[in-house]
Amino acid sequence: MIHVRNLQKTYKDIQSGQFTALAGISFDAMPGQIYGLLGPNGAGKTTALRILSTVLKPSEGSAIVNGFNVTEQPEQVRRQIGFVSCNTAIYDRMTSWELVQYFGQLYGMPLDRLHSKMNALFDRFQMNEIRDVLCSKMSTGMKQKVSIVRAMIHNPPVLIFDEATSGLDILVAREVLKTVEQLRDQGKCIVFSSHIMSEVKRLCDRVAIMNRGVILAEGTPTYLAEKHEENDMEELFYQLISRSEAQLESEKNAAAAPPRLASPLTN
Amino acid sequence: MNWPTIKLIFRRELRDQLRDRRTLFTVAIMPMLLYPLMGMAMMQVAQFMRESPSRVWIVGEEKLPASPPLIVGGKFNPTFGMAESQLIELIGSTAGDGHFESLIKSATSSTDDSASVEEILRQEMQKRKMDLAIFIPNQIHIPERPKSNIETASQDSTSPPATQVFVLTDSAIDKSRIASERVNRILNQWSKEFSKETLVANEIPTSMIQGVVFTTGDVANKTGKQAAAWSKILPFIIMIWSLTGAFYPAIDLCAGEKERGTFETLLSSPAARSEIAFGKLLTVMTFSMATSFLNLLSMGFTGIFVLTKLSSGMGAGGALPIGIPPLASIGWLLLALIPISALFSAVALAAAAFARSSKEGQYYLVPLLMISMPLMMIPMLPAAELDFGTSLIPVSGLMLLLRSLIEANYTDCLKFAAPVCAINLACCWLAVRWVIHQFNSETVLFRASERFGIGAWIKHIMRERRSLPSLGSAILCGVVILVAKFFIGFAVTAPQNFGQFALQTVIILVATIFIPSVMMALFLTRNPRKSLRLNGCKITMAAAAILAAIFLNPMFTWLTGFIMHIYPPSGDMLMLQEAVSRILGSAPGLWAIILVFALAPAIFEEIAFRGFILSGFQSIKGKWKPILLTSLMFGLAHGVIQQTMITFVIGLVLGLIAVQTKSILPCILFHLTHNSLAVLLSQANRTVVEQSPVLRQYLYSTDGQNYQYATFPAILMSVVGVMLIIWFLQLDLKPSNRSEAYGRVPHPN
Repeated sequence: MIHVRNLQKTYKDIQSGQFTALAGISFDAMPGQIYGLLGPNGAGKTTALRILSTVLKPSEGSAIVNGFNVTEQPEQVRRQIGFVSCNTAIYDRMTSWELVQYFGQLYGMPLDRLHSKMNALFDRFQMNEIRDVLCSKMSTGMKQKVSIVRAMIHNPPVLIFDEATSGLDILVAREVLKTVEQLRDQGKCIVFSSHIMSEVKRLCDRVAIMNRGVILAEGTPTYLAEKHEENDMEELFYQLISRSEAQLESEKNAAAAPPRLASPLTN
Repeated sequence: MNWPTIKLIFRRELRDQLRDRRTLFTVAIMPMLLYPLMGMAMMQVAQFMRESPSRVWIVGEEKLPASPPLIVGGKFNPTFGMAESQLIELIGSTAGDGHFESLIKSATSSTDDSASVEEILRQEMQKRKMDLAIFIPNQIHIPERPKSNIETASQDSTSPPATQVFVLTDSAIDKSRIASERVNRILNQWSKEFSKETLVANEIPTSMIQGVVFTTGDVANKTGKQAAAWSKILPFIIMIWSLTGAFYPAIDLCAGEKERGTFETLLSSPAARSEIAFGKLLTVMTFSMATSFLNLLSMGFTGIFVLTKLSSGMGAGGALPIGIPPLASIGWLLLALIPISALFSAVALAAAAFARSSKEGQYYLVPLLMISMPLMMIPMLPAAELDFGTSLIPVSGLMLLLRSLIEANYTDCLKFAAPVCAINLACCWLAVRWVIHQFNSETVLFRASERFGIGAWIKHIMRERRSLPSLGSAILCGVVILVAKFFIGFAVTAPQNFGQFALQTVIILVATIFIPSVMMALFLTRNPRKSLRLNGCKITMAAAAILAAIFLNPMFTWLTGFIMHIYPPSGDMLMLQEAVSRILGSAPGLWAIILVFALAPAIFEEIAFRGFILSGFQSIKGKWKPILLTSLMFGLAHGVIQQTMITFVIGLVLGLIAVQTKSILPCILFHLTHNSLAVLLSQANRTVVEQSPVLRQYLYSTDGQNYQYATFPAILMSVVGVMLIIWFLQLDLKPSNRSEAYGRVPHPN
């Protein structure tokens, strides 16, 4: 469903010249599966997801979403995905009903089908009470619900959740996670990025642990635990990131140090 | 592009903006309230405003003649100006408290001591004791006609001396200037009456001094006069409000969406970037038009109300020169609002798309206004008229067309409507293209805040150096040249002889054009020689460049004449040309003129423009865009509008030669030949032409001084010139390794 190969993204940066957000990542996510992207802030998760949603163009490599190439067929790719970001990203001056209808219409859905779908989703997410409430008047949890419904309205085969539970209280976060599970059970391919270990452990069928634009480890949570002999996901994450940071630090120091002159006496 | 998607985005954005209280306040509520409130305030203030009287001191009042009486009952005689006499308070021997009189008496034995009196008056004026002082040094009486015959009467020795009255004012003070206007009106009338009485006393008919009596008439009707007054104000008002009305919604729709995070959601929807851009553009345009219209409406109603009130207050004879705008002018304004709003909306949207936040977006309003204001101000100048030249100036042409439409000058409108519409539509199209480009540019949409430091920036530039100049460095070089040329203009003084002139010209060329481009090539590129296009070329190319310059010269000469005809040179420019011609007269020989006017610019300008700048612009795809942009910079660097146009066209040919031959050598040869021919043509005189049988066939002159190419040889030569350009176009060169030259130098990680 999603095939990512050697995906790279570099930006111009006035301080360091060039900033590598993604240094060639590859992974596959399948239908009925939740693929977790796990990593600290600045690991490259959002960049990867932005490329998958065609908002950004990759510098190198390819990404195929439900058979469509993100670089060559961006419009078709956008029709295959629903994107839920960490900031709720909904229009404050629209009601939840207007907002969902607007995005449904952007996806070209006929109004009668759109309305029946909206009614079903509003019932399912218990949002009928806030149908005519302006989004600016809603709580963060409510906003996130609207955001999820907005992403689901055109029934996309792929759903991307970019730190969708960040900033939510425990009740709303649980509800979001439950929705994600339900969507997985419906056969959707879900990419779920987070830095909350418990969520990843609970939801994800496969996990990629990222740091500084590279995937450090990839596989099912069980496989990763066995391979690294660490059952605690949080501890495993900590060890991998610490090791990666230490390695990068030593490489940086080696590059900065002056070359040692060979002594004729020792040779 | 899918129209239903654009419509959908437009409707959403429109609804969104209508629900925004700030936008509604700016667009609708503010104009509805602002003007009526301003009108009310104006009328309230007008009630309290009254003209304060001017304080005038007369010294030597007793020396005034009894008839005609200038002062009656301690005031100026109202016969010589009823309103003025009411507004003047006399402080002197009769009206004052004696303070000034005692001053005069203490300083002088008698008021005949003119110098002392004048000094006292000057001091008292500076102390602001009065607004104006009048000093009558000698007794004024009606002169009698001399008893001699008419011949002797006309001689100065026997004619009576002119009566003198000194009027002292302080033009730096408003009150004194107003007093001067009032007093002058009264004194003029009194002086006329005095002359009349003099004639009567001397038994001379008063009709003798009437001279020629002018009777003036005005064919303009009331509507026409009102239209003329409104035609200057209304276009300016709608332009200003159209820009302001476009700007704030544009910021909210682009920078605001970025801030709120909704932009990303929209970009990940199936709507194409161009559809999003058009949807937003239509929204901004709607608000721009609405702001203009509502401001106009509110201002119109308030204006009518205030003017009616003021007119009624002024009585029957006091009609104001500006009345209610004619209905037709409102219609034309509304029609013109569409292209004006389209243009400003597109520009505002592109600027707003570039901004990272609403705050940053607002910073762009001032530069945008600074660029637009001169274009809006040009048509308000009294000398500005709609002609072919002004019709080609964006915004200004449209405003002048609008002015002509309001004035019902339909003949001019019909003549110039096509170029005005074409140029403004072209600007609209370019602005819309810019907006779409901004919406497609990842670096613009996801620009992150970076801490700016000079050190880091210099390091960044050095690290990012490419083999050839970047687009940014080409633009920078062009801007540096323009700015340097502007400032050096203040530093130079008018040369006195050819030597000074030559030295000054070469120094300016080196300092403003050559040094910046060479320095940039050395510091901003890895291959300065290639960046400056300092490559050799085949002998055929060099020869073709010289021949092209020779054969195209008649065409360029004709073009120069045509441009000078459309945009006649200003008085200053003509004076400058005259001064240069005078200086050239002192040149040691033709070779020296060619050295200064042809060789020096050919080398230095080509190194900068076809060398560094064109190389930089070539990082843009395509052959013509870099040539076009370089020519534009080349034209702008010549400063004067007529020269800018001519050099722009010549720059296109030079650019093409540079791109096709990959060397500036043929360009230098073309430039040198072209300028040399221009010098030779300007220096050609009858003796030279008459002596040469070849020149006699090619050149002709109507006045024996200014020579032109004969029509038939000129056409023939131009055809050959064009064929040579086609030859350059078809030059089959090895394709350059563009990616290698312009691609990023891999940065070692």
